[in-house]
Amino acid sequence: MSELFNRRSAMGFTGGAAGLAYSLMGSHSAVAANLGSADIEPRGTDGILERLPNLDLESYDEFSTSTRVWINTDLNRSAERRAVQILRENGLNPREEMPFEKAVSLLADDPVISFRNHAWQRLQMHMWTELRREFYNNYDAYMSEMEAADNKGPGVLEMSPGIEPEYTKHEIHMQPGGYTGDEFAGHLYHYGTNNFYNGQNYQDERHVSLANAVPVPADGKVMRILDAGSSCGQQVVALKKRFPDAEVWGVDIGAPMVRYSHMRAVDMGVDVNFRHALSEETGFPDGYFDIVTSYLLHHEITEEATYQTIRETERILRPGGVYFPVDVYTNPGRRRIDGTGMRHIRDWMTHRWNHERWWYEYQRADFFGEMERAGMNVIEGGPKTQVSSQVSMNGGIANVIGIKPA
Amino acid sequence: MADGNGKHKTYATNFYKTDIDNVSFLGNPHIDNIATTLMAMGNELWTNRKRIHVLESVMRDKGVTADLIEQYEPTDEERARWAKEREVLVERLYSHFARVDEYEFSSEWKDK
Repeated sequence: MSELFNRRSAMGFTGGAAGLAYSLMGSHSAVAANLGSADIEPRGTDGILERLPNLDLESYDEFSTSTRVWINTDLNRSAERRAVQILRENGLNPREEMPFEKAVSLLADDPVISFRNHAWQRLQMHMWTELRREFYNNYDAYMSEMEAADNKGPGVLEMSPGIEPEYTKHEIHMQPGGYTGDEFAGHLYHYGTNNFYNGQNYQDERHVSLANAVPVPADGKVMRILDAGSSCGQQVVALKKRFPDAEVWGVDIGAPMVRYSHMRAVDMGVDVNFRHALSEETGFPDGYFDIVTSYLLHHEITEEATYQTIRETERILRPGGVYFPVDVYTNPGRRRIDGTGMRHIRDWMTHRWNHERWWYEYQRADFFGEMERAGMNVIEGGPKTQVSSQVSMNGGIANVIGIKPA
Repeated sequence: MADGNGKHKTYATNFYKTDIDNVSFLGNPHIDNIATTLMAMGNELWTNRKRIHVLESVMRDKGVTADLIEQYEPTDEERARWAKEREVLVERLYSHFARVDEYEFSSEWKDK
């Protein structure tokens, strides 16, 4: 059984750096700055993104992004070329079905494939480490900044400490502490995942694009919207931008994530609300929302949590309401999973070495079937979306929609 | 340390740590460490190049020439501060070689 880690005794940086006041506070923001003297923006903003607080860290981010693009393209191609060679050398057709264990046992120790996995992990760890160094070296200042926002509006922040189930406490993507176990999980996720998008989401472009793709109910009424598993709140802000008159909420089980999301929204002056809650148990009344969205939620939760989330979504949608869950396999074509050697190696690299803990559970979940069993009408040819770093999919691919019958 | 200094309201939970600090991909942990260091050096190299680009642009706008840079003699304070920075750089680059297994495997990965 996994060892439950206690941050008090085991994590990261030590010594007296924490507690230093940040020396260069001040607002040069181009957007509303509502955090007063607690606001940490030593280098101002670039559009809606608060610039990283020093030039070196910004350069680290740039280089990590460029390196990640190289890994995702050249190095991945080399690794896959090696996989094809090895499978053929062993008399196997890479495009035919084969047992997972056989594919991994043949491919796992190849130097090119191994280096690809090494590079992926270490690059990510470099970024997490450098970001944490910044936040913990200025611990008091960053914590004070969050505290200054906790009770400020225009939106509200609702916290429920202690509700986190065990399955939510893993270090997905190797993010130190995961989504629940580090005070700066929101900071880390926001800045650490910028390079996941190959440099194409610094202004929340992907979230704005997804928000603009969200289908509206047939009667056109959109009074309340929920983004389930809202992470650092980018999609919630983007939804508010598209639906300025709607009451928009985000829920996430990562308390530090929703805390950061709220702080960011307060700083931007955006009237959105965040609740620390599970997507499978949101606490909202029956029929409360006109639209429920999620982005990259389901592959980070268990199969059972996915089913519960779908049922909970059906409960909180009003008749005629729309469910728009965007994830890696929420498009009908890509949901047809094959068992070829190439497929195994890609999934294995994602699950094992990107620490996507629930990847296989998500894959085998009967996602569309559960939507139907929950009572939704399932429309497989929904709006086109792009997911994560799939930069090559210009225009995206059709995503599923669930409609609660009127 | 990561739990803070007791002055602030906290929400972080305990968590399950990955086995990343115990993993070797390249057959020998020290080969992994060398590769890790090379990746870190790439980051350091770009970080410094970027800063030089910024400096050159700022200085050019202020009329500072390349010859003035070549002739510059650091102050004692600068020498001490830069020495400290080099220590941090050495730690960043070479601490990987001193990596030992700090943690028990904490995840039940069945596939490797």
